[in-house]
Amino acid sequence: MSSTPIRVTVNGAEREVEVAPNTTLLDFLRDRLQLTGTKECCDLGECGACTVLLDGRAVNSCLMLAVEGDAREVTTIEGLSENGRPNALQDAFLAKGAVQCGFCIPGQVMAARYLLSRNPHPTLAEVREGLSGNLCRCGGYVQICEAVLAASEAGT
Amino acid sequence: MIGTSQPRAGGLARVTGRQQFIADINLDHALHVKLVHLDCGHARIVAIDTAAASEVYGVVAILTAADLPQPVPRFGPVHDDRPILAVGETKYHGQPVAAVAAETKEAAEAAAELVRVEYEALPGVYTVAAALDPAAPLVQEPGLRPDDPLRHSNVLRELNYGWGDVEAAKADLVVENSYAFPMVTHFAIEPHAFIAAPDDGGVVIWTATQNPFQTQRIIARVLGLPLARVRVIAPDPGGAFGGKQHPKYEPLVALLALRTGRPVRLLLTLEETFQEVRRTSCEIHVRTGFQADGTISFQDIQSDFLLGAYADVAERVITKANYLACGPYRVPDARITVRALLSHTTPSTAFRGFGTPQVSWAHESQLDDAARCLGLDRVDIRLRNLARKGEAFVPGDTPCDGDWAESVRKAAGAIEWGSPIAAGRGRGLAVAIKASATTGASYSIVRLHWDGSATVLAGTSDMGQGARTVLAQVAAHELGIPIDSIKVVMGDTAAVPFDLQTSASRSTVFMGQAVARACRDINAQLRQMAADLGLVANVSVVELLRARFSEVRGEVIGVGSYRSEHQPGHPLGGSPSFYEFSCTASEVEVDEGTGQILLVRHVTVADVGKALNPQHVEMQDEGAAVMGLGHTLMEHILLDDSGRIRNLGALDYRIPTTKDLPLEMFALVVENADGPGPYGSKGAGEGGLMATAPAVASAVTEATGVVIRDLPLTPERVWRAIQSRDL
Amino acid sequence: MQPFAYARPATLADAFALLDEHGPDACLLAGGTDVVVGLRNRTLRPEMVIDLKQVAELQPAISEEGSWLTITATTALAGIDEDQRIHARFPALIEAAATVGSAQIRNRATLTGNICHASPAADTAPALLAYGARVNVASARGTRRVDLDEFFVGPGKTVLQRGELVTAIDLPIAAERRGAAFARITRRRGVDLATISICCVVESAGRTVLAYGAVGPRPFVVADESGLLADPAARDGAKDEVLRQLLTKASPISDVRGSREYREAMLLVMSRRALRASLERLRAA
Repeated sequence: MSSTPIRVTVNGAEREVEVAPNTTLLDFLRDRLQLTGTKECCDLGECGACTVLLDGRAVNSCLMLAVEGDAREVTTIEGLSENGRPNALQDAFLAKGAVQCGFCIPGQVMAARYLLSRNPHPTLAEVREGLSGNLCRCGGYVQICEAVLAASEAGT
Repeated sequence: MIGTSQPRAGGLARVTGRQQFIADINLDHALHVKLVHLDCGHARIVAIDTAAASEVYGVVAILTAADLPQPVPRFGPVHDDRPILAVGETKYHGQPVAAVAAETKEAAEAAAELVRVEYEALPGVYTVAAALDPAAPLVQEPGLRPDDPLRHSNVLRELNYGWGDVEAAKADLVVENSYAFPMVTHFAIEPHAFIAAPDDGGVVIWTATQNPFQTQRIIARVLGLPLARVRVIAPDPGGAFGGKQHPKYEPLVALLALRTGRPVRLLLTLEETFQEVRRTSCEIHVRTGFQADGTISFQDIQSDFLLGAYADVAERVITKANYLACGPYRVPDARITVRALLSHTTPSTAFRGFGTPQVSWAHESQLDDAARCLGLDRVDIRLRNLARKGEAFVPGDTPCDGDWAESVRKAAGAIEWGSPIAAGRGRGLAVAIKASATTGASYSIVRLHWDGSATVLAGTSDMGQGARTVLAQVAAHELGIPIDSIKVVMGDTAAVPFDLQTSASRSTVFMGQAVARACRDINAQLRQMAADLGLVANVSVVELLRARFSEVRGEVIGVGSYRSEHQPGHPLGGSPSFYEFSCTASEVEVDEGTGQILLVRHVTVADVGKALNPQHVEMQDEGAAVMGLGHTLMEHILLDDSGRIRNLGALDYRIPTTKDLPLEMFALVVENADGPGPYGSKGAGEGGLMATAPAVASAVTEATGVVIRDLPLTPERVWRAIQSRDL
Repeated sequence: MQPFAYARPATLADAFALLDEHGPDACLLAGGTDVVVGLRNRTLRPEMVIDLKQVAELQPAISEEGSWLTITATTALAGIDEDQRIHARFPALIEAAATVGSAQIRNRATLTGNICHASPAADTAPALLAYGARVNVASARGTRRVDLDEFFVGPGKTVLQRGELVTAIDLPIAAERRGAAFARITRRRGVDLATISICCVVESAGRTVLAYGAVGPRPFVVADESGLLADPAARDGAKDEVLRQLLTKASPISDVRGSREYREAMLLVMSRRALRASLERLRAA
């Protein structure tokens, strides 16, 4: 079975690689590019732990084949911080106590980033709706929502 | 420092995606492992053919029970009953029959698909009734428990607790009901994963465990190695809740690593994780006697807890929880009879609350029933019966150690108990009590470096509760140095001294005290150092260290420990070091047409002694409340007639999302500095889910008049109860 | 996932050629939110996956052609939500689409994919049926149009033959005023599959259309031509009679999401509510 060449931009850096079609974008990011910030959990698009931005839109990377990333731009959690410094949204997550075990957090941050890019001043109900595809078993939803609202007030 | 909401240590790494969870660890030349399991419950393995699988390019090893040392090693936290791979039979849906190790993930998956297992489905024990049926097959061969008089049954243990004389007790009202608590699973967002590698005559294991020292002990025994040759590295788990407390596949990967001479890596899927861990389910039958004024006169509790195929730690769950099956109340006469039953299901294990959600579901629902029958207020009946501080509510044991009534009043106030309520709405309030750690030991070593910074070595696992932060706060406070100059090292048996485990909300108390004592040991050495150097007593730490270590570098090492010794003869092995008492109050609105419940307001109150980090406590309590809403409203594992899990995976096993949150949620605390931990603290983190179900159910009853004694309160279940009401 | 070949045809003709060549061994890929799950679970084992997203004739688009609104096959549900015309004319479709998964899912999942997957519980199906949608089917041998009501055959099965694919879904742009509502029952308030789903459309002329999902092997649609359901003066009891008659076409089963009994009861409860909401919206229109 042959590989397919693709040209995909990940966190601003263009990469020309060959990928087997039966590789998800999630596996490609984690195993091939060593970008392990994006997490694997349900592999069905139900938990949101694998959320990345594809051309600016939040998607579940476990539901995309890596080959579908050809000519597209992918942003992962690693791509949000500059030189390792967290952005204002990430700071808000820290300040509001939204981070417990942290496993769902990259996905939550990416989903929140997308929400705020479409709706810079969401209501609490809109935040809950926007993050409804991201599960948190530690149950930190209240603080996560507060963090997103705080970030929207700060103008992120 | 103490009592301030210091930012979560490790938070920055988590929020930028740099935190290394176990699946993020990349080892060179690691083999990938894939498990082979059957789409069946209890089954006899007739034959396993690995020929086609071995042909797959990249396959390095395939293990079945026949390839393991004989007899196949068995292990467990208490009983050595779980085999490394299924032997002769699969005892639960998902028990692996073979393991494939290959150069790539794809090769391992492809080969696992090609392993041909010929098997025969067998009748199995999947319910309490089946476990008690004398004609049912035995889940465990009698030879596994040769000295156990019950070994020819599916009863693993019978427990009897109680005091006084229930038969002679007089009551104006006897309330008798049966309650059921379903199977639910932990569903940490991080699936289980296990890595092992040969290491200098021994082995190193990576596992996101809450209990690296037990893992070390078990691997050492199974492999016949001294403890010092087994290193367990435990990365911070991505959620654990008890599901990562006891070994599962660590022995398997350790064996594979030694066989192949290579590092091996096993990442379970979420479905495989569901098949590995769950909460112990149960049926509880209770008779409670009351005086006309609501005073409890007796409790007669008979419960059957359904363990899985292997005991894991579930017997301990049942023991601890049922020891307090009467709840935090004054009960003159009590009889508690419990059976721990084996079944052909996923082994149940520790799960946040450790049996308390189950028993409080029963005792709280009983009180509500009595209040309704006697025409009493449901808060008043609890205040009447709650044990008071200092009262030995379990005769002869640790007395009530908190002002529990204060928690109840606080919760009642926050839910506006007694105020007018809209039609279709109802309120409920419930309490729960859990015995914390009884025996155990925690050790800590603190190293004060010559520049005034410090490293704290503590074997606690930071699985989301923020133990790193809290322990750093303790050290910062005790040593008088900035918290930013403290690093907490956890999760490595080669570097960190012994800790029993992270469980039972014990770590703030046990490890917190160990760290505090280690720091005080350092402070004593520093005082001596100052005297030896002829310096004034109040010289700063930095100056003192500079004076001592400027020519010849060094460090000051402090050791601290906190131990609670075994008490032979005590039913729990030792007295509880403290009680975790919690109160939940809930206001709901019920859509009678569909049975859907809307949570209007949800309150939890935790009696924490001292909140060392208030924000962390709030995070834990709200998180626990949300988790409690899961088993209250929507979670249950469904088995088909042949013991297969029907709703395996995230699609049909539903946990709360942001849209399932109550409209308002409050997590409150009571702080009376009456705990045995540092600065009067107790443990926290489990309380928020212990009384969720009875509080919500009671609110549903007030809203609709229906009483439901099974969980979860799905829309359909509520609807059915309403239909019955209207007949 | 099993290995498979992957092709990304640039034109419809190329796509047809691949479909004709591989037949049932090929699988079409648009949003991937169902297909990739099937690949992962190995319920789908194609030799060839044909990615339609580069096909020039199928680029995401919503356009008005005469009295029809046409939604191309690769248009994602997020695109549906971002179109003002659909908000204005087909608000129940917006409601239905909003229940499909999460924001992440809706950024990828396509309307066409939702109906081609043909789950009896497909959330968009009741709304599309109630609005009278039709499906544009094409192959190397030509095109045909199928009313959505005839498109579903059974669970996971449509009328698509070998070599055929769906190019677009059309919605008739109604001249008259109407009120519509979509509703469903789920196990939790969060993202979930439907236990039952309903869409009701009441036309100002008095016709009421009701479409249902998750209560039979295919989503189906029924209509009350008598005007009784749409009559604000009619008694609830009389409306229930008509609803019960219409609902005899439903054949719910018991599964992990709900029992047959509960589903049957909820059909009536939710039909009443959807009808009430539709009438209110008609009044407000």
